[in-house]
Amino acid sequence: MKTRRDFHKLMAATAAGLAAPAILGSKAFAQDKPIRVGASVSLTGPLSSTKNGLIGYELWRDDVNAVGGLLGRKVELITYDDQSSAANVPAIYSKLVDVDACDVLFSPYGANLSAPVMPFIKQRDLFMIGMFGLAGNDVARHDKFFHSGPWGPNSGRDWARGFFDLARAQGVKTVSIINADLEFSKNAAKGGAEVAKEYGMEVVFNQSYPPNTSDFSSIIRNINAADPDAIFIASYPADSTAIIRGVKEIGISDKVKIFGGCMIGPQYGALLSSLGPELNGLVNSHTFVPEPTMQTPHIKYFFDRYTPIALKQGVDPLGYYIPPFYYVAGQLAAAAITGSKSVDPAKMAEFLHANTVDTIAGPTAFNEIGDWKERRVLMVQLRGIKGNDLEQFRSPGRQVILDPPSLKTGDLAGPYNKARAG
Amino acid sequence: MTKNSILFLVGIAIVLVLGFLMPWVLKNPFYFFVGYVVLQYVTIATGWNILGGYAGYINFGAAGFFGAGVYLSAFLFTTLGLPLPLCILAAAIFGAVLGLLMGYLTLRIQGVYFAIATLGLVVVLETIVHNIPALGGASGMAVYGPRQPFWSPGPSQFNFTVMLIIAAAAVTLARFVEISWIGRGLRAVRASEDAAECSGVPTLRLKLLACALSGAVLAAAGAPYPFYTSYMEPVTAFSLIIGLNAIAMPLIGGTRSWVGPVLGALLLASVQQIATVTISSELNILFVGLVLIAFVAFAPGGLAELFGRKQRRARS
Repeated sequence: MKTRRDFHKLMAATAAGLAAPAILGSKAFAQDKPIRVGASVSLTGPLSSTKNGLIGYELWRDDVNAVGGLLGRKVELITYDDQSSAANVPAIYSKLVDVDACDVLFSPYGANLSAPVMPFIKQRDLFMIGMFGLAGNDVARHDKFFHSGPWGPNSGRDWARGFFDLARAQGVKTVSIINADLEFSKNAAKGGAEVAKEYGMEVVFNQSYPPNTSDFSSIIRNINAADPDAIFIASYPADSTAIIRGVKEIGISDKVKIFGGCMIGPQYGALLSSLGPELNGLVNSHTFVPEPTMQTPHIKYFFDRYTPIALKQGVDPLGYYIPPFYYVAGQLAAAAITGSKSVDPAKMAEFLHANTVDTIAGPTAFNEIGDWKERRVLMVQLRGIKGNDLEQFRSPGRQVILDPPSLKTGDLAGPYNKARAG
Repeated sequence: MTKNSILFLVGIAIVLVLGFLMPWVLKNPFYFFVGYVVLQYVTIATGWNILGGYAGYINFGAAGFFGAGVYLSAFLFTTLGLPLPLCILAAAIFGAVLGLLMGYLTLRIQGVYFAIATLGLVVVLETIVHNIPALGGASGMAVYGPRQPFWSPGPSQFNFTVMLIIAAAAVTLARFVEISWIGRGLRAVRASEDAAECSGVPTLRLKLLACALSGAVLAAAGAPYPFYTSYMEPVTAFSLIIGLNAIAMPLIGGTRSWVGPVLGALLLASVQQIATVTISSELNILFVGLVLIAFVAFAPGGLAELFGRKQRRARS
């Protein structure tokens, strides 16, 4: 400091700097603050195969920021790894809300990890987009929760209704059900049994198996002994592979018209590539496939950018099942913020309840507990698969949409053994 | 009562008073979510140490007792509407009975065979829960906990205070065991079980008592968990991470006295919680592994012994 005058100048500048926010007003100051979007993602642990969803979030954030953000504010994405453990979820969401001051929340992946956060958001009256939690808001019934996944109403029961609609159209009278003894598959099998009963089908074999089962020969023989017209399976990736291989070894009755339903695994590139032609004939649930009725320039543009990032990160190069709906979550949040011109949870929720939102996965409208008003779970049949090249699954005709009728691109090829032979 | 015991009880009372006052001073609920997890691990590490540290019987089944406490407490609360203190007490009694049964079945075998047998307990209990629809099975169970009482400003703060009381009780119990005839007997068992038996130490009875006390503390640690997460499912409740932390924390802190597990849990659980929201969980797990290796290699007596050594050096 050279002179007293310099000191006074410095003091004046400091005072002006400190007073600036008050002079400019809190509004001007708030507009500089980014809109914070918080999420917990399973980067490690048993659910780490879902981490490619993060690419969806990041692409959405970059797209929004490239056009100036929302309400003139940049979007900042804050994520933490929940290690696929429900025990970590409460502290993570408290950090997102109480420390990071997030304006919008995305739930963790799936029902088990989302359940701990539901009482929290209801108690604090927060706005949240749900990520793939089947029937995730059926208990809490929070009016500011919205699913990004296309499960539709009564998803606990109706998740796989499309499979039974197809079975009924084929004149199926008897059905066998097997499921892994885990949350999602148990719910799917329970819902499947209820729908089968509603359609007048007799469940001739219904068995759950421990999650680490690797040999399905006895179960397949028991199914054959029960001689059903249809086989509904709710399984996880490792068991899905073992079941498909078991069927190849032991064989299945020619009477079976439709086989599959709710097998987790054949939606992912790794399993599609490893099983290849063994998947022919399988009818399975999905959320997106590159069929003409679903391909739009928007979703194509999404995958044009997703694929190189996924290859670089070593995650699923196809990414059809999860990543588009993580992008959809961002689009729903963006629509709620821009539509209501606010980040107030009540106003955002009011906007989403009242309006249909255009997303890369199609137009979406919500019921009172945030389910998609119309179920849009796909039932696709895998066909014409030759060899183990993953690129073939990017072409139409490999995963033909059988249900819902509005997106249908083909009819069921059956019976299963004939379709399996390709 | 010795001077040390009086000082210890005064210390516990001060910690409890601070724990009751803190929610009214510190307004951000996040710290209480994190504090709950840290205190939960203080209780688990302390409970594990009664058998694993004092008696030298390595128990891999901590998650089994913890999960049993989680499920019993949630079941009693949701179906019978029992108040929270009774749920915790019932979980502790159940844990003690489970510990006694496990002890009868496994304490005749020693070393690595005992460790494997205890690991089996987790698998058995998890499979049982998977197949009981009343406990939610694999789908899990939503539990909306009790409203916080007037003396607590919010649910996370209330859960924190409850866990603090359990942790304080567990540490007091561990210290009592350590300085009483039970601790002397268990130390004799750890030094040489055959020699202890020949000297007239009732080894089996002492080991059974240690199993029961350890089980009670571990199950009590799990009792408030359903109200913390508002949801429980078997994979998390019987998680292997709980069993591994239960061993790692006393090993890092020191297994010879009650101070070791407390120090180890405070250090490791705090670092884990901070790392989860700052660095990354992979590095967090790597950190736990590296710290564990470092302590086993360079300070097998843990932090407690390191401090003790420094103090002795300073005195001399």
